[in-house]
Amino acid sequence: MEMIHIIFLIFLGGAVLTYFSGKISKVLQDIFFLASVLVPAYLFFAYVGAGREATLSLGGITLIWGVNHFSWLFSLIVLGLGSMAAIYAIGYMKGKKRKGYFYFNFILSIMAMMGILLSIDLISFFIFWEIMTWSSYLVTIYNGHDIQRIGIKYFVFSAIGAYAMLMAIVIVHHLTGSFLMSSMINFYPNMSLSMQIWIPVMFLLAFGVKAAMMPLHVWAPDAYSNAPMAYTSIFSGALSKMGIYGMVIVLVTMINQIPQGFWFREVIAWLGGITAAIGTLWAIKQDDAKKLLAYSSVAQLGYIITGIAIGTELGMLAGLFLAVMHALFKGTLFMVTGAIEKQTGTTNFNEVTGLIRKMPWTFIAALLSIIALAGIPPLGGFVGKWMLYESLITSNHYLLVIVIFFSSTAAFLYCYKFLFGFFLGQEEKEWAHVKEAPAVMVVPMLIMAVMMFVLGTFPGIILKPINSGLMDLGFVDSFKHLWESSVILNVWGNHVVLQPILYWIIGIFVFFMIFLTWKGFKTTRYVSTKDISSSGEVPADDENLTFSVGFMQPFMRAVAPAMRRQIDKYYNGIADGLESLFEFIRRIYTGNGQTYTIYVIVFVVIVLLFKNILF
Amino acid sequence: MEKVLLDILGAIVTFLVAFVVGMTYGGLNRKITARVQNRKGPPWYQNFIDAYKLSSKKSAIHHGVMHHLGPAFLMVTSVMTLLIVPVLSHNNWFPNLNFQGDLIFLLYIMTFGPLGMALGAGQTGNPNSAIGVTRGLSMMVGFEIPWVLALVALMIQYHTTSITGLMAVQAHSGTWLMFSSPFAFIAAVMALFGMFRYSPFDIVGAPTELASGPIAETGGKYLFVMMSSGSVFTFAKLTLYVDLFLGGADNLFILIIKTFALYLIPLLYSLVSPRYRTEQAIRWFWGWPSFFGLLAILQAIIF
Amino acid sequence: MVNDKNSQKIVDFIQNWARKHSIWVLAYGTGCGAIEIPPTMTSRYDAERLGVRGAATPRQADVLLITGYLTVKTLKRVIRVYEQMQDPKYVIGFGSCTINGGMYYDSYNTIKVLDKYLPVDVYINGCMPRPEAVLSGFARLQKRIAEGRANGAQQYKDNLEWYRANQKKIIPNWIMPEYNW
Repeated sequence: MEMIHIIFLIFLGGAVLTYFSGKISKVLQDIFFLASVLVPAYLFFAYVGAGREATLSLGGITLIWGVNHFSWLFSLIVLGLGSMAAIYAIGYMKGKKRKGYFYFNFILSIMAMMGILLSIDLISFFIFWEIMTWSSYLVTIYNGHDIQRIGIKYFVFSAIGAYAMLMAIVIVHHLTGSFLMSSMINFYPNMSLSMQIWIPVMFLLAFGVKAAMMPLHVWAPDAYSNAPMAYTSIFSGALSKMGIYGMVIVLVTMINQIPQGFWFREVIAWLGGITAAIGTLWAIKQDDAKKLLAYSSVAQLGYIITGIAIGTELGMLAGLFLAVMHALFKGTLFMVTGAIEKQTGTTNFNEVTGLIRKMPWTFIAALLSIIALAGIPPLGGFVGKWMLYESLITSNHYLLVIVIFFSSTAAFLYCYKFLFGFFLGQEEKEWAHVKEAPAVMVVPMLIMAVMMFVLGTFPGIILKPINSGLMDLGFVDSFKHLWESSVILNVWGNHVVLQPILYWIIGIFVFFMIFLTWKGFKTTRYVSTKDISSSGEVPADDENLTFSVGFMQPFMRAVAPAMRRQIDKYYNGIADGLESLFEFIRRIYTGNGQTYTIYVIVFVVIVLLFKNILF
Repeated sequence: MEKVLLDILGAIVTFLVAFVVGMTYGGLNRKITARVQNRKGPPWYQNFIDAYKLSSKKSAIHHGVMHHLGPAFLMVTSVMTLLIVPVLSHNNWFPNLNFQGDLIFLLYIMTFGPLGMALGAGQTGNPNSAIGVTRGLSMMVGFEIPWVLALVALMIQYHTTSITGLMAVQAHSGTWLMFSSPFAFIAAVMALFGMFRYSPFDIVGAPTELASGPIAETGGKYLFVMMSSGSVFTFAKLTLYVDLFLGGADNLFILIIKTFALYLIPLLYSLVSPRYRTEQAIRWFWGWPSFFGLLAILQAIIF
Repeated sequence: MVNDKNSQKIVDFIQNWARKHSIWVLAYGTGCGAIEIPPTMTSRYDAERLGVRGAATPRQADVLLITGYLTVKTLKRVIRVYEQMQDPKYVIGFGSCTINGGMYYDSYNTIKVLDKYLPVDVYINGCMPRPEAVLSGFARLQKRIAEGRANGAQQYKDNLEWYRANQKKIIPNWIMPEYNW
């Protein structure tokens, strides 16, 4: 029995135990839930290193699981974020209904993701992929409303992706006679050109759906915003990275092998760039924090896709570093939203304002992750953004870099909207009762915020596993010539030295902080947000002057032409068209025996007439 | 230890120079505006008096921690920009952070302060502040496009992303990038209009419309720090432009001449302009300036 | 050093000099007098050469300029604005209406003597006072600041109860934050 088997057994057994223990005691259920996420995580990092393998025979087919450095990196995202989200979920789910259902699917999702990462053969890859889709689907419809619209949308897209992948797997088996990924990769250069193009396309369809790539992203905003926030943080942070994981493998091991691969990668890079731009614009428009973050996830995944599609070493480093960072900051932001939802009961910016003094720790976590999201130094997001830009510029993607730059500058708008909407603005009587979220929810957020801060100055901590993962995929070692523990370089030799920058920033900030506080300390006083200079008026207690409705109106007016078209509408058009087609086909079945007789006669006549041509 | 002290000394000296020059430019701005309007105008040192008066205000109010610290955030950006940008070429006295960051880093550190400041403005609860902030952020999206186009054009033409690298290119070839990459220069100068927020782009702090926008609740010492930060930032931005396009400067005198010549462009343009609406301003930046930026990229690819 | 009497004197002198030459005015256009502000500020009379400059909000302003008659409704706002200004702050009463009611001396809804409600440092009389008179008023304020005699804010703080009593007598629904400098 290998450790990998034990880990999967704990996951499975833990899921079932957690589900049923809810009947006995709520506390026991929480404990079982935490244990079945944290124990496998500990076991994995303590005992399973790169190079370990395990097999399982199932009815004649041998499933093979193994770890390499690349999948270890993604396991870090899944188990790290998964553990944090699990701790957070204890607090978040307190007092909610159907906890067992939620916990069960939560554990299954993490197990499925680990399974995807550890799979070496395509069969177990597909099985775990389906488990992941199912469990995330079930959590998405946890709230029970809008199942028709949201759940079906997510499920239809996932199904299309999954069947495309299944088709590719069957074709590969037909061609190579084996389900092993390595045999597929080895055989790939010998395939015919059309197969060389179609197999990656079918795989990328599946991965693109999960990574919410344009134009397959339409399910994401609804699904992300409808799942409970404790789950959405891994949904957006880790589950979408499975698409990235698959994409990297397909791009590196298959598409790079053929000369047409260049155009292939260009198209995907541009799709990523457009995803980023469109996602950002739609995120700015949203008035609900969940929707805003969901669109923002789509946009951020666009950056990652662009980074990995460029395919240079720096681009790969950028994409994977951004993937880790995205897991951290978007996980935190969804947790923040969840905390606010729990404390106030709403996530609409137009309703809730001025929480900064009531929920200071949540604000700090949100502030740090927003700074990381916006890519502002000295936090980790900057390192990823920097690498992405440099890789785009040094690999001659001049216009793409402008698109990316546009979307990341426009991202400031929704970043500010998020912080302002929840935490700033006038403090209202309506929310005077709000208290800070319980510690079990705040601590995971703060841990992740601290990690973002550390990674901003010492990105080497995470670039090291990324580098060894990339070396497993056949890239050369980029240590010392693209990154050091706290220096990042581009291929032209330009660099950013992060450590002195951090010290200077802190030094300047602290100096002026002391100056502002010390100067006139006794005559400086705090006044409430009702005491503002609004033409001499005193706003009444129930009068809210916060500006939040139509927050980015001028900007939206400026970009209105770009937002007139929605991909959703095209899909709806296709669906309507298909529906009327089916309606037409249905008319053939009139239910009248005589009509069917005519059909038979017509058919026979046609066969007789065109006998020579047909046969 | 000695090196650290020397670094701090260098930063302080650079800061003081930038403070004095930036404040003087602010005063000259008011003087020139007055002369154009056929007025006598305040003395050139008026801004120093204003700053001193603000700092000597006896009382101050704030609406919370972020509002209290907003000016400090702003100052981080100004001083960091100043330290990253080489003030004088061949400067061995106070290298500051010249070789530690590149242009992309600079672009991002320049957004650190406005965002922190925006948070401070948001916490005041004054609707005018929030409106001003949204306008400012929207306009930033506008002018960053031509600015980045110009920078990318320079980067791909000379295969370097560092400011010192681009200065070395100019020193080596003997021509200023203003002449060898004219389109990039035009696009960058047009983006400068947005950075300075003078008319017609003074939509952020429009005094008659938004009651000075983000700083509506700010007075006394807070306004003093912001004013100083603005002056330092003015100098840092102009120095950056001089370094990138005008071949840098060997001594302070030449630097002042070049920066002032550059400063006159947005200033004189502002004197004859009314105010745009936000979406007009954004679209203005996405029009001709971006067109020149694209030309610059085309030029960089072809030559 | 700050405790030293002579150095305090020097600091006071410099500060007063700066305050004198940098007067940011919040022109509260209460009455018809507001029409005299634009000519004072623009090319013809150019108040900016004295360091006088408009401020957009009370938080930044040094001088509250009451231009003309004050209705009871406006008085409440003016008091609010004055209390939001930062120390040191001055008030200029502009036009006859602020001194004794002027042509509205028997009006039922304007106040007659501004000094009962706000501590006025300098009055400018006339109906209307021409820009020359306004400039001379600013010059008088500058002189008082330099001499350290423009301490209306201190007076307001010391006699707050008296001022409050007067204000509350006029303003029926008094809902305002406390003034606690």
